[in-house]
Amino acid sequence: MKILCDRNALQEAVTVVSSVVPVKTTKPILQNLLVRADTEGITLFATDLEMAARVQLDAVKVSKKGSVLLPARETAALLRELSDPTVTLESSDQRCRIESGGGSFVLLGESPEEYPEESQNKSGKRIEIPAGRMLRMIQETIFAAAREETRYAINGVLLDCAGGCLRLVATDGRRLAISYENIDSKVEFKVVVPLRALNTMVRALPEDGKEALQLEVGDKQIVFKIGSTQLQSQLLETRFPDYEGVLPKSADTTVEVQKAVLESALRRAAILAPNDMRMVRFEAGDNQLRLTAESTARGRADVAVDAVIKGAGGGINFNPDYILEALRVCKLDDVRLDMSDDSMPAKFTLGESFTYVVMPISGA
Amino acid sequence: MIRRLPPAVVNQIAAGEVVERPVSVVKELLENALDAGALRIRVEVDGGGAERIAVIDDGDGFLPEDLPLAFASHATSKLQTVADLDHIGSLGFRGEALASIGAISRALVRSRRRGAEAGWEVRCEGGVETAPQPCGAPEGTRLEVRDLFYNVPARRRFLKSAGAERARIQELVAELSLARLDVDVTLVADGRELLRLPAGDSLPARFARCFGVELQHGLLPVSRTFAGLTVAGFVAEPDLARRDGKLELMFVNGRRARESSALYAIRQAFREYLMGGRFPVYVLQVNLPADQVDANVHPRKAEVRFVEARRVAGCLHETVRAALQARGAAADAAAGGVVIDARLPRARSGFPDRSRDLFGPPPAAAPAPPPREAAVAGVRESRGPGEPGEAAVRPNPFQRVSGRFLQVLDLYLLLEGPDGLLVVDQHALHERVVYERLRRRHAGRPVQVQRLLVPAVVEVSPTELAWIEAASAELAEQGLLVEPFGPAAVAVQGVPAVLAKVDGKRLLRDLLATGNEDGGTAVQDRIAERFHAMACRAAVMSGDRLGEAEIEALLQEAATLEHPHNCPHGRPTVLTFGTAELERYFRRRC
Repeated sequence: MKILCDRNALQEAVTVVSSVVPVKTTKPILQNLLVRADTEGITLFATDLEMAARVQLDAVKVSKKGSVLLPARETAALLRELSDPTVTLESSDQRCRIESGGGSFVLLGESPEEYPEESQNKSGKRIEIPAGRMLRMIQETIFAAAREETRYAINGVLLDCAGGCLRLVATDGRRLAISYENIDSKVEFKVVVPLRALNTMVRALPEDGKEALQLEVGDKQIVFKIGSTQLQSQLLETRFPDYEGVLPKSADTTVEVQKAVLESALRRAAILAPNDMRMVRFEAGDNQLRLTAESTARGRADVAVDAVIKGAGGGINFNPDYILEALRVCKLDDVRLDMSDDSMPAKFTLGESFTYVVMPISGA
Repeated sequence: MIRRLPPAVVNQIAAGEVVERPVSVVKELLENALDAGALRIRVEVDGGGAERIAVIDDGDGFLPEDLPLAFASHATSKLQTVADLDHIGSLGFRGEALASIGAISRALVRSRRRGAEAGWEVRCEGGVETAPQPCGAPEGTRLEVRDLFYNVPARRRFLKSAGAERARIQELVAELSLARLDVDVTLVADGRELLRLPAGDSLPARFARCFGVELQHGLLPVSRTFAGLTVAGFVAEPDLARRDGKLELMFVNGRRARESSALYAIRQAFREYLMGGRFPVYVLQVNLPADQVDANVHPRKAEVRFVEARRVAGCLHETVRAALQARGAAADAAAGGVVIDARLPRARSGFPDRSRDLFGPPPAAAPAPPPREAAVAGVRESRGPGEPGEAAVRPNPFQRVSGRFLQVLDLYLLLEGPDGLLVVDQHALHERVVYERLRRRHAGRPVQVQRLLVPAVVEVSPTELAWIEAASAELAEQGLLVEPFGPAAVAVQGVPAVLAKVDGKRLLRDLLATGNEDGGTAVQDRIAERFHAMACRAAVMSGDRLGEAEIEALLQEAATLEHPHNCPHGRPTVLTFGTAELERYFRRRC
């Protein structure tokens, strides 16, 4: 194989593909990435057997077809440091020579035939959604997912597509985030995507991208395609809890408050919530939302902010970290809290299509 | 064709259950002697018991007319009706022991009834007995078993070496002797006297005679009365913990017995004082009405069941916990700091192990628990939990250090105490300090529940379900809300807010796996574990150089602790090299 290509384009492609390369693995061959050159250009491919990433590059001059395995970490680091606008890769056997201004390097790979095959995605259900929108939806939900390995179905994010609407739902059992977008399609599916795949997507998707992101959902896997890049992931074979059942239907009290005001007030109050018992009390009344926290060892916080209160008023305790994590990804100026008593979930409206439900803390 | 087995065969089969090895014979005979009211018992074994076992007592002796039935199966004088089984006061009751032993050995009974003119003897070989013959004999009974398993070669092959069998017998005799301090017990093996236990010993003294003199220091006497239940005996300082559970000795109404929930409860009480893989040392005599115990659950009577297992376990837990907590509570000037030094295991001391006898004052005299019958009446009134106990043997060493100290190796603090040199592990001590702070803070605030939006459904077995149902109120008090969810599952609706990050399903599984009878304690233990982890992260590390003021502050807070001697994982926080030890090391004294 011998190719000449733009260094920048190659570096970007290598970075995207490398994001699925495992840092630790018992199969060392997985720490490589595959470069395949044919008449149409080159394809970069990497997989950790659960996820796979593939990028096609056209702006390449292929003088000799073939394929080679390159150590992913070293290749990415090297491309970052090279200074010439172009770079030449030439391979023979399992060695690859990289020539560019700044030196000549030989990378030792392994046999490309032993690298896992790219699995062919059978035609699944397809939808399209603007990439920037998908990025927001992932950001609005992923923080609420369970991080622990043991937690049944909720170790991922649910993608629920039905009735012309795509919903992303994540929960760790104590809080639940839903973000949705209407789409122009009759397709229906309900799958749980692992967090790792979505985290990779967050890194790969452009902010406010208007480009279309294509989702292809099969029985066991999902493929995200944007431009010449595609990311493929196994699905979690678990049953996601019935999220519609936990959404509160009514509330005794409604609080409307400026997001920035609430966020900074809560951050201040949370300083005095002890780290072995994170708890801040929200009390609504007299057009004020009062936040209090107390640590027997460190002291007490009492913060009142203006708010529009409707309904009975009353108090309820939350883990402040749960609320702050959600406010961090909220882009709305005014947020709304619907709450009842401390045995009922409370609902935060944090965006036009972003809802967050949190279970309060109560006395034993 | 089905045949009814001849009695000799039946007895041989039954013998397999009762008599596994020589030590089983000794146990049965010793219990018979005690049941006969003996006050002086001599046990002789030759060849590890396989050649000869003799138990000679000064008890009531057999009635001559009973002798023909001595080796008959299910023949006993200890029991008459089924109802008697509900309140068994004697150690034996099944009438199986002698029949079993007679079936697999050459046995001899020679007995003279107290006050009778003459003795009688009966021999039995392989289950065939002779008619009683008159003979000369002292008052009491001599039971001699020769050639054990001579007609059961399979069993004989499974015997361990004579030395190993002898060691087991010695352990057993020692254990059983602890229940009856009023009985004089002697064990002679192959002509050598292994145990000589005079009547009237205190419990710690007898325990030390049996299991080693070094054990007599640091036994914390306990004695508590609960409604319908008394606990007496001692628990040993955690320093004395062993790598096996052999010295976890519980007696129930005078019978050496095991009961799993009690065992677990006691270990839990010790947990934060012991390193992993260590087992506590204790002798606890539990007395409760006979109808509250079922001793008839194990062929060798090694296990018992309690009608109110959870309550008994709870009482034991409380008793042991209180004793351990009380030890540093009031520093008795008379007890003196040297006591600590003496109890530190020699191997951990930096000095050569010589002259151990010179160390430490005589053992703190522990009141001997009264003998079996008197036990219930004899113990003192119970105290409420948390009050200091009588066992103030272990003062807080940090209360009496001088203001001088030195940090060495960025890890150890050298201090001067009234009785010598203290070496402190700064990380371990600080860990304990932080841990106690967390616990105090937690105890002082109401329990909070992080309710779950999506209940964690846990599938459980019927026994687990029964446990959860029984414990659900206690669990809820500690902040774990569990509700039934169909016939074979429960739903965790809320977890203690202090454990908010813990997965509800895993939390419940952990609790079920511990087998703890008491749900509330189980949750508290889990919370304590979290505090351990937090304390470990928050504590100063090895390698942190501490300023003078920091060291002073640490020592001041340590002086207020109830048990500063171990970190929450059980590692020691302080080693003491006593003045005397130092003087001897430098040959200032011999």
